[in-house]
Amino acid sequence: MNHFIRFPSSLLALLAFVLVSGCAKKEAAVARDIGPEAEAYFKAHADFFRFATPTDLPNGLVWHDGSDVPEFSAPEAKRGGTAFSWILDFPRTLRFAGPDANGSFRTFILDDNALILIQKQPNTGQYYPALAKAWAYGSDGKTMYFKLDPDARYSDGVPVKADDYFFAFFFFRSRYITDPWSNNYYTEYFTNLTKYDDYTISATWREPRPDLEDRLGSLYPVPEHFYKELGDDYVQRYQWKLEPTTGPYTVKPEDLHKGSFVDLTRVPDWWAGDKPFYRHRYNFDRIHLQVIRDVDKAFEAFKRGDLDMFGLSLPKYWYDKLPDNDPLVQKGYIHKTVFYNQIPVSTYGFYLNTAMPLLDNHDVREGIAYASNFDLVDHQYFRGDFVRMQTGSDGYAEVPFPGIHPRPYSIDKALEHFAKAGFTQRGSDGILVDEKGQRLSFTVTTGDPSMRDVLTILRQEAAKAGLELNIEILDETTADKKINEKHHQIAFTGFGTSVPIERYPRYWDFYDSSNANKPQTNNLTNTADPATDKLIAVYDKAQSMDEIRRLAQQLEQRVYDNAAFIPAFKMPFYRSGFWRWIKWPKDFNVRFSDGAGQYGLEWIDEAAKKETLDARNNGQAFPPEIKVYDQWKPKGE
Amino acid sequence: MFRIDPITRRKLQRFRSLKRGYGSFLVLCGLLLMSAFAELLVSSRALIVKYRGHYYFPTYAAFHPGTDFGEDYSYETNYRKLKVRFAAEARGDWVLLPPVPYDPYENSFEEGVYPPTPPSLAQRHFLGTDTTGRDVLARLFYGFRTAMIFSLLFLVLVYVVGIAIGCAMGYFGGAFDLIMQRAIEIWSNIPFLYIVIIVASIVTPNFLLLLGIVVLFSWTDMTYYMRTAAYREKARDYVAAARVLGAGSGRIIFHHIMPNILSLTVTFMPFTVSGAITLLTALDFLGFGLPPPTPSWGELLEQGTANLNAPWIVSSAFFALVIVLSLVTFIGEAIREAFDPKKFSIYQ
Repeated sequence: MNHFIRFPSSLLALLAFVLVSGCAKKEAAVARDIGPEAEAYFKAHADFFRFATPTDLPNGLVWHDGSDVPEFSAPEAKRGGTAFSWILDFPRTLRFAGPDANGSFRTFILDDNALILIQKQPNTGQYYPALAKAWAYGSDGKTMYFKLDPDARYSDGVPVKADDYFFAFFFFRSRYITDPWSNNYYTEYFTNLTKYDDYTISATWREPRPDLEDRLGSLYPVPEHFYKELGDDYVQRYQWKLEPTTGPYTVKPEDLHKGSFVDLTRVPDWWAGDKPFYRHRYNFDRIHLQVIRDVDKAFEAFKRGDLDMFGLSLPKYWYDKLPDNDPLVQKGYIHKTVFYNQIPVSTYGFYLNTAMPLLDNHDVREGIAYASNFDLVDHQYFRGDFVRMQTGSDGYAEVPFPGIHPRPYSIDKALEHFAKAGFTQRGSDGILVDEKGQRLSFTVTTGDPSMRDVLTILRQEAAKAGLELNIEILDETTADKKINEKHHQIAFTGFGTSVPIERYPRYWDFYDSSNANKPQTNNLTNTADPATDKLIAVYDKAQSMDEIRRLAQQLEQRVYDNAAFIPAFKMPFYRSGFWRWIKWPKDFNVRFSDGAGQYGLEWIDEAAKKETLDARNNGQAFPPEIKVYDQWKPKGE
Repeated sequence: MFRIDPITRRKLQRFRSLKRGYGSFLVLCGLLLMSAFAELLVSSRALIVKYRGHYYFPTYAAFHPGTDFGEDYSYETNYRKLKVRFAAEARGDWVLLPPVPYDPYENSFEEGVYPPTPPSLAQRHFLGTDTTGRDVLARLFYGFRTAMIFSLLFLVLVYVVGIAIGCAMGYFGGAFDLIMQRAIEIWSNIPFLYIVIIVASIVTPNFLLLLGIVVLFSWTDMTYYMRTAAYREKARDYVAAARVLGAGSGRIIFHHIMPNILSLTVTFMPFTVSGAITLLTALDFLGFGLPPPTPSWGELLEQGTANLNAPWIVSSAFFALVIVLSLVTFIGEAIREAFDPKKFSIYQ
C-alpha cells in the first residue's frame, strides 16, 4: 500500500541521468534515442545488470519446460467471429505505466493479454511456458534462469530478446514514467538481472521465497524500439499509443473511437497461437468493447442480444432481473451458469481498532464478534449466495485453515463477554451501560455506500445484545483517509487480492507491530503483539510451503484469538449469463479464474448465432440451460 | 402581541372560503397531528399489554426486556410474537398492537422469503417491505415526520434570520445596506449543493448539522423582499411618528415595521416548506442527507429506483411526496389569493 520513490542510489547514475537527459533535450527537435541513456544506466548499475556469457551459467541447472502440465483449453474451440462486450468507461490512457494506467481497461491490454515469462496453470497451479520456453532454479533459492522462446514476437513482428528485460528495468525505474509504485517495486525487490545470451537471462529476488515463479516469472519485456522517444513528455506522448504486445490482442489506431468504443483485434499469425497452452484459446478475431456508462443499461443491451455475455453474480440480476423463468432463459436463448472458483477472497469484515478505548478490552472485542450477525446478512439479505468468511485468509488452495471458524451470532455469549468487561446493565433504550454510565456504543466507518443495508441489519441485531453500532458512511476517499490514519473505531472494509494470485496469505502488512499505530499501513486493527511479530518474522523467511502452512496455522489462530478482525462474507463462485452461441469447454472454466472471460477459453458458434436470432424472431425455443459447476467447491463449505 | 387587524381578519376569512386550499390545510394539519403521535399508530411496541393481572403501556416507557413478559431473552420484547403466544396460552393475557405493528428500523426477515416483499394485509405490511425487510409504511410515516419537522424548523430559522437582516438593511439603508447587499450576493453565489456534498463526505451530518448548513445558505432570499418592504414602510408617517416619540431602531423595526410587512412573508411560507421537503428528499436521495438508518423519503426513493422490480417502494414514496407537496402548494395558492393586495389594499 505504501510506496515511495527511491532514486537510484549511486550518485554517478544521477549524474549520468542529468547529463544524458540534458543533452537529449537539445536534440529533442531531432529524433530522440533513449538507447545511450539506457546503456549508461546499465553501466552505472553494473552490480545489478550483469552481462555474462553462456559459459557463466551454473552447472547442473535442471531445466523445466512444462511438458508434464496438462492443457486446459477445449480442442473443439473454433477460431473466428466478433465478440460484443462492454466497458463502463472509456479508458483514460493506453499506457501501462504512469498516471491513470491502473484503470480497469488495463486487464484487456495487459493483465489478461500480454505474456509473461512463465504462467501458472489455472487448475493445477503448475507452471507452463509463456515467453520463456524453459526455466531453472538457482541453488540460492532466490534466482531463476529463463530461456526465451526464439519464436516470441511483438505484435509489430520484432522478436523478444533478453535486452527487452534489461530495458524493462530501466523503464520501470525511470522517473519519466511518473509511476512511484513501479519505481519502488523494480528497485526494492530485485537484486540482479543477468543476460547470458540474446535468449537466456536470470533474475534474482532479494530473498529466497517458495513462490519465486510468481515473482520472477511474471516479468514483462518492454520493447526498447517502441520507447525510443522516452522522455519527460512520456505521459502525453504515449497516452494513446499502445505498446506492441506479445499477447493475442492489440488495438489498431483506427479502432479507438474515443468516448464510444474500442475494438481489440487478434494479432495476425500470433506467434503463440498454435503452441501448447495457447492453442484453442483467445478464439475471437475481434472483441468489440462498447462504452455503456450504466450497468443496468448494459444489462438491457445484453437482454436484447447486443452483448454476448454478462456477469450475473449480484443477486439482483440473477434472481430478479433475469430469473430462471424469464422467457429468454426458458426458451434457451440465454444460458445461466454458476461456477465455483477458488481464489483468495477479498477480506471483508469488521476491523476493530484495538488502540481505541474499550476496544482495547479483549472481552469487548469478543462480545462484538458474537453480536455481529453476519450469518443473518449472508442468509437473508444475500439470499445465501454469500457465505460466511471463515478466516481473514480464505481461498488459498495450498494454505487451508480447516480448524478455524468465526464466532457465530450468539446474544448470550456476547452478553457474557460484555458482562466480563463490566457492562452488566441495560439502559432505558436497551443498550448496555457500565458502572460509570458509559454506553457500549461504537461507530462503524465505511466508504462503500452499497453496504448501507448490510450495516443497518447488523445494527439492529447488535442492539439485541445491548451493543450500539452507529453507521458512518463516508465518501470513499474520506473513509480511506480516516481508516488509514487509524481514526476509526470499527472499520468495515476489505482488501482485494492481487494478480498474479498469491499462494499464501500476508501477515506482516496486517498484524505486525511495526505497522501498528502508524498512518497509511494495512494494520487496521493496530495489532501489536511481540509473540505475533516473532512468528511473522519467521514466516516471512520461510522457504518451503510446508513451513509456511505450519506457521500460517499458528498466525491465523492468533488472529482469531485476538478477536480484532471479524470476518464478514465471501462469494465462493461467480455467475454469468451468455447467449447460446457462446460456447465453453466442458468444465466451463478454470479453478483460479475470477470471471468467465479471464482465460479466453470461450468461442463463438456463428451458425448457432444465426439460428438463435432467427428463432427469437419466430418464437422457436431451445432447451433451457442453467448449470452449476461445483467441481472446485471446497468440501464442507 | 399582534392584534389581528380587520384587514387580516378578512384575509383569513377569504382563505377559509377557498375550499381547496383550506381543505388541504386541514388535511395537512391532521397529518401533522397524526405524526406527532406516530408511536401510537406505527410502532413495534404494543399500546397495552395485560400480563398476569398487570397492565403495561410500553409505547412511551423505557424498553421492556423480553424477560418482563416471561420470554427467555433480555432484549426488547417482540410484541407481535408475544401476542401470538398469549393467544395460544389463553390465560387471559393480551396485547393490543398499533394498527401498523412495525417500527421503521426493524428488519423483519422470514425464512425463505427475501425482501423486498410486496404489500400484504396478513403480515400487516400494508405497503410492503424495503430491501432489508423494513416496513415501507412505517418508514414513510416517520419519514414524513422527519421531513415536516425539518421543513418547519427550516422555515422558522430562515425567516428569523432573513427577516431580521432584511428589515435592518431596508431600515438603516446607506452603507450598511450597500455592504450587506454585496455580502449577500457573494454568499449566495457559493454553490450550496457542493458545500453540502463536501461536508457530508467529511462528516456524517446529523439532523441539526444538516439543518444548520441548509439554513446557512438559504436565508438570503428572504432579505431581498424584506429589504424592499422595509424601505417602503419606513417612509410612512407612522414610522416617523414613532421616531418622533423617541422609539429606538429595534423597537421601530420589530414593533412597528415588521407587523406591517409580515403578511408578505405569509404568502411565501408554504413554498418555503415545500422547497425544504424537496431539498431534504433530494439530499437523502443522493446519499448526502441524514445518516442511515434514519427513515427518509429520499432514501426510499433511491431504494425504489434501484429496485424497480419492487414497485411498491418507489410508488409509495412517489405518491407520498406528490400528495404532501400538492397539499402544501394548494395551501400556498390559497394564501396567495387570500392575501392578494389587489383585493384589499386601500387606495387613498
